[in-house]
Amino acid sequence: MKRKLLALLCAAALACTAITPWTVSAQESGESSVVVTMTTSSEPESGFDPAYGWGAGEHVHEPLIQSTLLVTNTDLSLGMDLATEYSVSEDGLTWTVKIRDDVKFTDGERLTASDVAFTYNNCRENSSVNDFTMLDYAEATDDTTVVFHMTRAFSPWPYTMAITGIVPEHAYDENYGQNPIGSGRYILKQWDRGQQVILEANPDYYGEEIKIKKVTILFMDEEASLAAAMAGQADVSYTASTYAEMVPEGYTLFEAESVDNRGINLPTVSAAEIDGLTVGNDVLADLSVRRAINIGIDRETMIEHVLGGYGTPAYSVCDQMPWYNEASEVTYDPEGAAALLDEAGWIEGEDGIREKDGLRCAFTIMYNPSDSVRQGLAEEMANQLKALGMDVTTEGAGWDVAYDKAQSQPLMWGWGAHSPMEFYNIYHTAPGSELAEYSPYANEKVDAYMDQALSTSDLEEAYELWQKAQFDGTTGITQDGDIPWVWLCNVSHLYFVKDGLQVAEQKIHPHGHGWSIVNNVDQWEWAE
Amino acid sequence: MKTWNRRKSMLLWLVLSLFFLIIITVSGSLFSEAARTTDFSRKNLLPCFRYPFGTDWMGRDMFARTLKGLSMSILIGTLAAGISAVIALILGLCAATLGKRADSVITWVIDLIMGIPHLLLLILISVAVGRGLKGVVIGVAFTHWTSLARLIRAEVLQLKESTYVRIAGKLGKSRWYVAVHHILPHLIPQFAVGLVLMFPHAILHEASVTFLGFGLTSEQPAIGIILSESMKYLVLGKWWLALFPGLALVLTVVLFYLLGENLRRLIDPNSVHE
Repeated sequence: MKRKLLALLCAAALACTAITPWTVSAQESGESSVVVTMTTSSEPESGFDPAYGWGAGEHVHEPLIQSTLLVTNTDLSLGMDLATEYSVSEDGLTWTVKIRDDVKFTDGERLTASDVAFTYNNCRENSSVNDFTMLDYAEATDDTTVVFHMTRAFSPWPYTMAITGIVPEHAYDENYGQNPIGSGRYILKQWDRGQQVILEANPDYYGEEIKIKKVTILFMDEEASLAAAMAGQADVSYTASTYAEMVPEGYTLFEAESVDNRGINLPTVSAAEIDGLTVGNDVLADLSVRRAINIGIDRETMIEHVLGGYGTPAYSVCDQMPWYNEASEVTYDPEGAAALLDEAGWIEGEDGIREKDGLRCAFTIMYNPSDSVRQGLAEEMANQLKALGMDVTTEGAGWDVAYDKAQSQPLMWGWGAHSPMEFYNIYHTAPGSELAEYSPYANEKVDAYMDQALSTSDLEEAYELWQKAQFDGTTGITQDGDIPWVWLCNVSHLYFVKDGLQVAEQKIHPHGHGWSIVNNVDQWEWAE
Repeated sequence: MKTWNRRKSMLLWLVLSLFFLIIITVSGSLFSEAARTTDFSRKNLLPCFRYPFGTDWMGRDMFARTLKGLSMSILIGTLAAGISAVIALILGLCAATLGKRADSVITWVIDLIMGIPHLLLLILISVAVGRGLKGVVIGVAFTHWTSLARLIRAEVLQLKESTYVRIAGKLGKSRWYVAVHHILPHLIPQFAVGLVLMFPHAILHEASVTFLGFGLTSEQPAIGIILSESMKYLVLGKWWLALFPGLALVLTVVLFYLLGENLRRLIDPNSVHE
């Protein structure tokens, strides 16, 4: 009998430990803490070190633990964080930034200009994910002034300053990513790899009062995230359009607009073998075909079908950004598309597929097999283009082969960032090559506008040049230009938010369904 | 019904299962187009008269997809099991006839491959040769031959000691001649049964390796793809996406098993006169 009792007690104890982390977080929410779920890929693999992609990696977001020199506001204009003022020399080669003198790291040491210089020099040497090659070196001229010496003029530099978290020179070593010390809004309290991150408010924070004192981030896949919301264990639970109808009781669906766009590349040159790799596509090399695709697809229907309506039409990689050119927008015009094809000599054959000089109007759209949204978009696009007389097949291609194959076939991509550099990386010819990196395309005029935009010292003027690179009245990358990419939609980021929690106004989310939501978690509020 | 003895009913079962499998295979290949057609105006339909297995989130007809998937699995399974059985036959023969050294090498290889979990080795091979159809076929073919090879080796060792084989040897016939003319004919029942019983394994392993994402690519309506896609929608209450294809797969495997089992009873000397 005693033994049985003991066993029972043991089992009970085990059961308690198994559920404790959940119940604790659920109880605490409701005061000034929140539990947020994120995709498993949002967990920073190399830790919370800006040099290895924290905040400044493929998916940009505010680093929370560290402060940045500048910030981007909700309308994506630039604001100040550590910086009090900044200026750039006439030739664009020297940036001078003055910083606050009242900021301390969470270990009590003061943050000085030399920490800033150290951070940037370290990033330049070690950053594996972000491009810092335009920086020659950074130096601190006194305690509150830091000077960046550039190798070439680079007007989007403020956007780099808005995502690079400042690390302490005195407490930085190879393990920094695991034990980050910063001067930001939150302190990393606990990190259980593969499970959760717990952040606590920095009591000595120099900025606005932090309303949410404790943030728990749980990394889980879509199904688990839904289950967490259904069990009431998460306050903000990310979800996808597939699950959007299943709003759990006590939650509301929150839709954050994004520039997380999906689009396909259209190789603009004829197929040829370069270094054993097929580059170009004979059908898509025809400008009329590319233009017909752009106006022949009904983006609204596509969003309705695949995204359940949770998205906005995209006409460019940088929709709604300050450097977006509205000339990119087109209206759905199937007759116009058919006329374009007829005019170019693509005549419908017996099976309803167009042909020109014996060449069938056929191509393949690839997609990442683990992404059902991209697959849906590819299939929907194939259906819509069939009506135009194009024979489009779809093919799943993992990232191990997709980049190479995209040189000759369209691939369903996802992009979207708070920096014009993304536009540059997609359309500008790659260094040491005559064509752009991701899909064969080259236009000297577009390149020239972008080069000018980079080298100008005035951000406003740069915006104008970025817009001209998209379309200057005669040439560009829009419908009336070369149209080397066709953009389909911006995928809204969806969340189940517990009733009573007021999520602060979001700036338009970039690509990646992760940390962006908590950019301003310190300003969230629970209703009384 | 007196005229139906066990032999006849077994034969009937054999013919029936063969018939069904052929129907699945043939009708599946007729549905190639329908299995891939998406139509968002009919998505997420429950099973009904028009779509007996319902439709999925992209409006694809699950009935067509299931049949096509099964027929692909059967063809891949047949091909892979065929290659595998030939490997087994050749290695089994070699082990028994080519002398001690060859025997120990081949037995060692058999033990080695049997020692590694099937699925693990299958995934390794499939990934190494680039996944897709090629990866699955090569992977299945190179992992499934071992037990049949061992069986054939044992059989040959036994046959080698039989009087007529020894006499043939004494009469000056070459080893090869003896192997082909006196030993091989005796192996055919074992071989045929082993081959047929390998099908269900091959089909299940094809489906599982594809399910895990190391096999066929996701635009193909393979049964493994269908099942792994449907996992995501189970939580949304779309049970029909997984249930019918899953049942169909089980049914196919059972049919193959029946086929093999009946075939064995009919041609195996130990049970042929039961």
